Amino acid sequence: MANTIQTHMKNNTLPLVHFFLAFIMLLIGGTLGLLQGLNRGGVFELPASFNYYEVLTLHGILLILAFTTLFTNGYLYAAIRHTLGELSKTVKILAWSSLASFLIGSLLVVWMVLAGEATVMYTFYPPMQASPWFYIGLVFVVLCIWLAGLGVFISAFQWKRRNKGQHLPILAFFAVGIYTLVIFGSLGVTVEVLMLIPWAFGWTETINVMLSRTLFWSFGHTLVNVWYLVAISVWYTILPKIIGGRIFSDTLARLVVILIVILNVPGGFHHQIVDPAFSEGLKFMHVFMSLSIAFPSLMTAFAMFAVLERTGRKRGGRGLLGWLWVLPWGDVRFLTIMIAMISFIIGGAGGIAQTNNQLNQVVHNSLWVVGHFHITVGVTVVMTFFGLVYWLIPHLSGRVMTPFIHHLGMFQTATWTVGMALMALSMHAVGLFGAPRRTSYTTYGDSATALGWEPYLSFLATGGTLLFFGVILIVYIVFHLMFFAPKGDTPFMDSRVEDNAHPTPKWTENWGLWVIVAILIISMGYVVPLVDLIENAPPGSPPHRTW
Amino acid sequence: MKQFWYGLVLFLFLALPPVRHLLESIMAFHMHMQMPLLFVSGLLMAPFFMKRFRQFFGKWNGSGLPGIILFLIIVMYWMVPKAMDESLEIMAVEAFKFISLPFLAGVPLRDSWSKIGKATESILLLVLAILFSIMAYLYIFFESTLCNNYLLVDQKTVGWGFAFFSLCLILYLVLTLFTDQSQYYDEAST
Repeated sequence: MANTIQTHMKNNTLPLVHFFLAFIMLLIGGTLGLLQGLNRGGVFELPASFNYYEVLTLHGILLILAFTTLFTNGYLYAAIRHTLGELSKTVKILAWSSLASFLIGSLLVVWMVLAGEATVMYTFYPPMQASPWFYIGLVFVVLCIWLAGLGVFISAFQWKRRNKGQHLPILAFFAVGIYTLVIFGSLGVTVEVLMLIPWAFGWTETINVMLSRTLFWSFGHTLVNVWYLVAISVWYTILPKIIGGRIFSDTLARLVVILIVILNVPGGFHHQIVDPAFSEGLKFMHVFMSLSIAFPSLMTAFAMFAVLERTGRKRGGRGLLGWLWVLPWGDVRFLTIMIAMISFIIGGAGGIAQTNNQLNQVVHNSLWVVGHFHITVGVTVVMTFFGLVYWLIPHLSGRVMTPFIHHLGMFQTATWTVGMALMALSMHAVGLFGAPRRTSYTTYGDSATALGWEPYLSFLATGGTLLFFGVILIVYIVFHLMFFAPKGDTPFMDSRVEDNAHPTPKWTENWGLWVIVAILIISMGYVVPLVDLIENAPPGSPPHRTW
Repeated sequence: MKQFWYGLVLFLFLALPPVRHLLESIMAFHMHMQMPLLFVSGLLMAPFFMKRFRQFFGKWNGSGLPGIILFLIIVMYWMVPKAMDESLEIMAVEAFKFISLPFLAGVPLRDSWSKIGKATESILLLVLAILFSIMAYLYIFFESTLCNNYLLVDQKTVGWGFAFFSLCLILYLVLTLFTDQSQYYDEAST
């Protein structure tokens, strides 16, 4: 088949447009991050017309909602097209509608924030009240997720009908799991937003704050694990191919997907462990529910070490750790993902610590938490995404990566890693000393405690600056690979299972049952607190505008 | 045999005073955690009894229907709010709960499950879904406390719990009616 750029671009317009927009979002969001970091480090003051909190809100929305959603949709649609075959017309319509919905939603949201009508942070906690159009924008963003998910489900269903009795290819299995989870997770926030819209229009006078926060975190926490599930789909199915190995266990990978989907949503309570209105018993119960999510993560760690060791030994590694040194550390496609996985050991351990009631008291609402999610999302997830672009973008655009871009990628990886280490670790440290999150630079009247935070905040600003350079580099790399790299064929890097692998049990395919089990577990987690929060609610809160 | 030990350990764990106290202190835990777990412990222990008393089960539960009826009687008895109240106040009733749910509901159901056909399975699921829906309606909308030992808000919580139980049963029923579930339980495939 003739390889022409036009043909490639035409066939892969959908994921390429998603990636293009995702990295535009990263560029804008990253620039805002730089402003934030420099302000928080006390380097300069932001003007009142575009203050720290506005920047913070936009930075959060553009990076952890816009960038991740667009990237995920682009990657997964590329993956299902590769594994399940050409997308049907219905699926294409759904995917483009999803993108349109996302753009409408994003425009509304960003417009309202820039207009100073929605400086409510990305968590938009009531009783802070944004313009109703901000919330309506969020409805479109959620609609985008549902439409994209529906497209994937239809693709999987059509494939299963064509291939009766066959297992859904592993990448498509991950895609089904990811969209099932994100749809379950978005139900709570949808209800919340539908309560906030009439309140913002003034049709209802008050809002149940605790109920809103609880519904938000049923989504907020799940979203984090959706990114994580996207990242581990790369680790399980793509990383082995990059290092010349095979998938360790297809069954284990599918079991991990199923467990994450059914166990995840009730984990949201550990974000509210300091909130009032929950009895201690409930908080302790939810520690169990949150920690249950660590179980599939530990299974993933086991599988990853197994893949790395087997492949390392195949490559000639000897001795206890010899297999580690022979891995392709000089290959940017491996290095990025490896750093992402290593960072997850730190991030995961921090997450488990934060889930515990007493430890959470120490770090709650401090910069520690910000450091934690910059390690988990900013390194584990984002570095995995970066690791994909070096071969996925050229695969889609009909080009090949040049040695120059490879070297630049290695430099970008180093910049990002050092920047994030400086920023996230100083955030962790200064958080332990009590520096609050979501707070513009202040010395609290030159109090001795706040002045003691200064060196750490300087590190934070330095790390943020390095990260901004990292953003510039990765955006340049992506656009170069999309539009300017030499023409050529770059293969899709999905792995196969070992030749002697155990057959995968058929029960893993029973998605109908997993959905029912997920509903049962979500109801176990939420019925008791939600009824309590509704029935025993204090008078609702009128709107507050803190900006 | 392994299953029997799992069931027995679960049964003994649920019988520990602090566990009993914790699970009975919240109505939803009492009705939707302790009772189903006692029932599950019976399900796990069932194969041991089925093997040990094969003749007894063959004689009295040959078709599987008597076991299903006994299971339904026990389940319906424990749906009665007064029964739950009494289990908190009268030790004999509490003991009866710990005997009846595992051994008169869990064990007979497991023995019957392999003997009844698809149609009976579906009818049983439908009966349970209807029963739980009625309980959901009763507990959510009744305006006075049905259980003296718990608050009205606890009662509503249990009602919503029943609503979700019922929803899950209905969804599972639909799943079994419209998909061939046996395809998922064949031997493994590549």
